Amino acid sequence: MIRLQNVTKVYDGATVAVKDVGLDIQKGEFVFLVGPSGSGKSTLIRLMMREDRPTNGDIWIAGKHASAMPSWKVPHLRRSIGTVFQDFKLLPNKTVFENVAFALEATGKPRHSIRAQVPQVLKLVGLSEKSDRNPRQLSGGEQQRVSIARAFVNRPLILLADEPTGNLDPATSVGIMRILDRINRTGTTVVMATHDHAIVDAMRRRVVQLDRGRVVRDQSRGVYEDRTRERPAVRRRQMEAPPQALEGQESFPEEPEAGEGSG
Amino acid sequence: MRLQYVLGEAFHNMGRNALVVLGAVLAVFISLFLTFSTLLFGEIVRVNTVKWSEDVRVEAYVSDELDGPGVQTLQETIDGWEDVAEVRFVSKSQALEIARDQFEDDPTVLELIEENPAIIPASFRIQPSDLKDYDGIVSRLEGTRGVDSVASAGAAVDRITALRDGLRVFSWVLAVALGVAAVALIANTIHMAVYARREEIEIMKLVGASNWFVRTPFLLEGMLEGFLGALLAVVLAVGVYRLGETQLDGLPDFIDLTIGSNFLVKAAVLVMVFGVAVGAVGSAISLAVHRYIRT
Repeated sequence: MIRLQNVTKVYDGATVAVKDVGLDIQKGEFVFLVGPSGSGKSTLIRLMMREDRPTNGDIWIAGKHASAMPSWKVPHLRRSIGTVFQDFKLLPNKTVFENVAFALEATGKPRHSIRAQVPQVLKLVGLSEKSDRNPRQLSGGEQQRVSIARAFVNRPLILLADEPTGNLDPATSVGIMRILDRINRTGTTVVMATHDHAIVDAMRRRVVQLDRGRVVRDQSRGVYEDRTRERPAVRRRQMEAPPQALEGQESFPEEPEAGEGSG
Repeated sequence: MRLQYVLGEAFHNMGRNALVVLGAVLAVFISLFLTFSTLLFGEIVRVNTVKWSEDVRVEAYVSDELDGPGVQTLQETIDGWEDVAEVRFVSKSQALEIARDQFEDDPTVLELIEENPAIIPASFRIQPSDLKDYDGIVSRLEGTRGVDSVASAGAAVDRITALRDGLRVFSWVLAVALGVAAVALIANTIHMAVYARREEIEIMKLVGASNWFVRTPFLLEGMLEGFLGALLAVVLAVGVYRLGETQLDGLPDFIDLTIGSNFLVKAAVLVMVFGVAVGAVGSAISLAVHRYIRT
């Protein structure tokens, strides 16, 4: 369903966000992308949704050569990908129903199928009662469920989620994960970038760990932290060194190459 | 894509930035008002100069010293010239009659004429065989004994035509400059509309809306603004023209303000099309450079 071959992404000719990544994700899989900020999780998501093109390497999404695709074909590709983000990206001046319907309107679906499909998917995420509410009147968890409903309403083959629980408390996150799991059980491939240890450990799904743009672990039914492997020495020193010691340290190893924004 | 959706979006956007939209519409309006007025004025001048040059006449005022036979000889001489189609003698008394008719509404001039009938000279009215070629006749007449002075309507027509050409160049330059300003202002309104809706655009792109679905409302908004400006220009210019036509009734009858409705409709359509084009170009420029729209 998703295949990355030797994918490298360099921003502005200098910042290496993703380096030589190969990844093969089958239809119906549930994959966690884990790693610290700046490790390249978000960049991978952006590459998979063809928001960015890789500097090098090839990407196939749903059987299409996404990395070589001209930009005018991208809208069609996007219809087979649902996307969910940490900040929900809901339109504040539309109701819950309208926000979900927007995804269908924008792709030119007829009105009768919009009227049929939106209540269905709102029921799936448990928001049938609140379809006339405004996003502002909802809790964070409910807003994220609206955004999942919007991502799923046209039954995409792939659901890409970038830190979908990043703004939510643990209990609410569990509810979100239940919905994503339910969606995954319909046969939808789900790729989720996260640094929520508890979720990854509880779900026991395939875990792809990134570190400074490289895949350092790819484990089926994995957990967030791999205790069988020694973490790179650089990271351990970074985490263990007290803050005041960092400042004067001349030979401090260089920072991860990717910045916060691209991780 | 539903037309209702596209139009709805366009109107909604225009309402959101009413003041900026007004500025752009006014710029289109001023530019096209000038263009349209230039077209109308040019047409009036064209119609009139054609009419005037049809009866272009060279008038040679005859010296009082010339007696009857002298007049006769002179007329035969002029008639013998190859470039003269027709020559007619207007005697002093005939000239006086014409003057009385011409100035019947002007008592001061009339009084002057009645008191000094001698100031109205006798003349030859000469029709050149080629309407555009009267220079030779004029210069020959000027060197002829018994001719006091020579006047020609042709020179006046030439001056008016030159004036028209100058005005035309000036107004076109102005109209083009304002047209460029109108394009820029429309591009600006579209830029603001896109910025105001960047979140919606982002989501449209996320869910796979086609580029045209995203762009058409903005393109249409620009075209609508251009259309409104052009409509305003046509309505106002035609209004001013109609008003002028009725108000300037007392104009000397050699000036004809009538414009064929054929020409009027053609010019109006041209101006409207131009307005819509200005709007389309403005919004296309804006959409081409805007980072929220580009993929």
